[in-house]
Amino acid sequence: MLSHHISKLLRRSYSRAISNCRDFTSTNVETDPTKRDPAPFFFNKEIQQCLETLTTLDYNKVFRTRKDGYKQKPPEFKFLTDEELEEARKAAQYRAKKYLQMPPVVKERLEPSEPLCEDPALQDHDTVKYVFTDITYGLKDRQRSIVVREPGGTLRHAFWKERDRMIQTFLPKPERKLQKPKMFEDEYMKDLLNRNEYEFILDRACVQFEPDDPDYKAITREVYEHINAERHFDVLRSTRHFGPMVFHLVWTSNIDNLLYEMIETNRIEDAALLIRLYHMIHPTTKSAVEQCEHTDDVDFIMHYVRLESLKKDKIQKLLQSYKELQREREIVAEGIKQAHGISSENVNINK
Amino acid sequence: MIRTCLLRVCGLVKNSPRNVSSVSNESADELWKGVTSVSNAGRLRGRAKGLPRKKDLNKGQIIGIGKVSMQFPGLNTPVFRGRELVHQQKLPVDPEREERLAKLRQSIPMRKRMKLSRLEQGWTSAHIGGRKIGPPDSIGGDTFDDFETWVLESKIVTHMTGNLGRKSRISIFVVTGNGNGLAGFALAKAPVQKAAMKTAKNRAGQRLMYIPRYKEHTVSHDFFTQFGNTKIFVKKMHEGYGLVCHRAIKACCEAIGIKDIHAKVEGSINLQNIIKAFFIGLLQQKSYQQLADEKQLHLVEFKSENGNYPEVIASPSKVRKPEEVTSHEILDFTQYVLGGKVILQKKRPPAFYTKLPSFKTKLVKLERTRHFDETRINLLAEYGALHSFLTKKYPEAKLCPKPKQSKNNETEE
Repeated sequence: MLSHHISKLLRRSYSRAISNCRDFTSTNVETDPTKRDPAPFFFNKEIQQCLETLTTLDYNKVFRTRKDGYKQKPPEFKFLTDEELEEARKAAQYRAKKYLQMPPVVKERLEPSEPLCEDPALQDHDTVKYVFTDITYGLKDRQRSIVVREPGGTLRHAFWKERDRMIQTFLPKPERKLQKPKMFEDEYMKDLLNRNEYEFILDRACVQFEPDDPDYKAITREVYEHINAERHFDVLRSTRHFGPMVFHLVWTSNIDNLLYEMIETNRIEDAALLIRLYHMIHPTTKSAVEQCEHTDDVDFIMHYVRLESLKKDKIQKLLQSYKELQREREIVAEGIKQAHGISSENVNINK
Repeated sequence: MIRTCLLRVCGLVKNSPRNVSSVSNESADELWKGVTSVSNAGRLRGRAKGLPRKKDLNKGQIIGIGKVSMQFPGLNTPVFRGRELVHQQKLPVDPEREERLAKLRQSIPMRKRMKLSRLEQGWTSAHIGGRKIGPPDSIGGDTFDDFETWVLESKIVTHMTGNLGRKSRISIFVVTGNGNGLAGFALAKAPVQKAAMKTAKNRAGQRLMYIPRYKEHTVSHDFFTQFGNTKIFVKKMHEGYGLVCHRAIKACCEAIGIKDIHAKVEGSINLQNIIKAFFIGLLQQKSYQQLADEKQLHLVEFKSENGNYPEVIASPSKVRKPEEVTSHEILDFTQYVLGGKVILQKKRPPAFYTKLPSFKTKLVKLERTRHFDETRINLLAEYGALHSFLTKKYPEAKLCPKPKQSKNNETEE
């Protein structure tokens, strides 16, 4: 009760300071010019669109049987008309989109630096810190004011660690633990990475941490780097973590492996889109400045590879072989058409 | 008297009846019978219990080997050893021979019992029901290689004849199948069990029928089936559910290759009728294409584990419009498949003890322990052992002492 009253008072008096301090897309960009803030780029509509396209919606993968301890039921059968079937499909599409909602990529949070006030009169009033938490119903966690009275007499905003702990204590979220789970420790994490359990790690990290938590950042970075090194991009494709991974790779200008994998699996359009995304985020690079004259996807990728890629030879060779394969395929398709009695000219005339 | 004395002196009477017991007059079999049998009246009174058995008294005796150990070439040794001719000769006496023989004769021979392993013995150890008896014999070039036969029922059946009176035979009911859709069942009777089994399984091999299955793991749809007064409600189940049904139906499912099913038998539990009803039900199932054509609607599957993504199983050539679907039509798949019937799902009544006051007391007492398991696991994960707020103050007081085995292991190492 007491804490409630005090915190209410405090909230009123310091509300402005708090709102300045805790904003999701951190406002202190100017204070740290060396690190760019990824949030405005990530939340950009065009870039979101790109990331969604690159994720590729594969229903078999999105709606696969998951190892989540869910009790199985016998399948349900229904008689549906065309319209009802279409409706059911649309509902499934909507659910799939929900499954694929990307966790946000934002800048790391900063600790509040300045104390709220210093009362020398309260020095050594007790041997422990006092934490005051606003537990009003209906507030968002970011808006909740949590302050700490030090034994020295200073009153300050709680550090992020303290905040997380207090919020989890008073308003627990299911599946979130008070302490950082052991699986995120180095040895266990390595084991998980070697077993290719990327999605499990990322899902658990999403549950456990806030997106601007330095721990979350470090863990996701480690997983993405491991995937990039091992080229296991297909494990994450069609999951909610593919977009942030692509964003991370583009952000750190490390897209060669991904590009190679995309060309290898005949995703030329995706590869071109990836390069366009790269240009959007890094508009001052060579390939972005020197605009490509060709409109063809393959030439567009060639242009980028020539100017910037670190694995020029490899990717160029792959592209060449892809081109040849494509040409051969066209010849075969033409042959099939002729065998069926439709020559390409006829088709053109018909068109 | 005088005469006999004289005769004995002369050596004319060799076996005096006085000095010889009656044993030598009986044959061995007769003697054994005297020891090992009782009269019928005695048997009825229980005197046959614990009778001695006939024993081989010459056990361990081999021709050519005796008390005096002799070398007989051609009998117990080869005639030539290398190029030398072996001569008949006496060998040193083996002092342990007598002992060994006595030991061998004393040891009681173990009676051989055909003991089957728990997995092979069928439903119970006493009867043959549920036991597997191998594939039917091949006939006219048709082989039944990957088939297996299950005995479902074995019983003695009797009838009266004019000249023999009560005549009994063994009746055997079997099901055979290859676990991949083909199965058949048959009944055969014979005076001997073995012959009945053989006839039954061969007959079952000749009466195979194909049973369509859904994704080769369960039935196509729920169904109700009846034969006589035996009613069976069969439910299609998801993968990994298993066979939850009567043991005879389970054997049939194994023969057919059905892995997941729930079946409830109601009414008469005559085993032969159960099997007949089950097979009739299986054969009367409708295919999905047939159902879709009947309804002129898409048949769509929704799996909850796959996010209820609609998967079209069968489509008719022409689909009806929503206006053409009448309001009184049965659209529920299960109900349609059961022919418009609805199964009465009885609610299970709560157990009798839940109403007792002692049960409530128990619940109150147990409430304290409701999160123990969870807390225990969390503490183990966090501290590696059970931990409390007092552990820091009194580290020597362990909440959970180490098990003794691990300590022993440590000392051994």
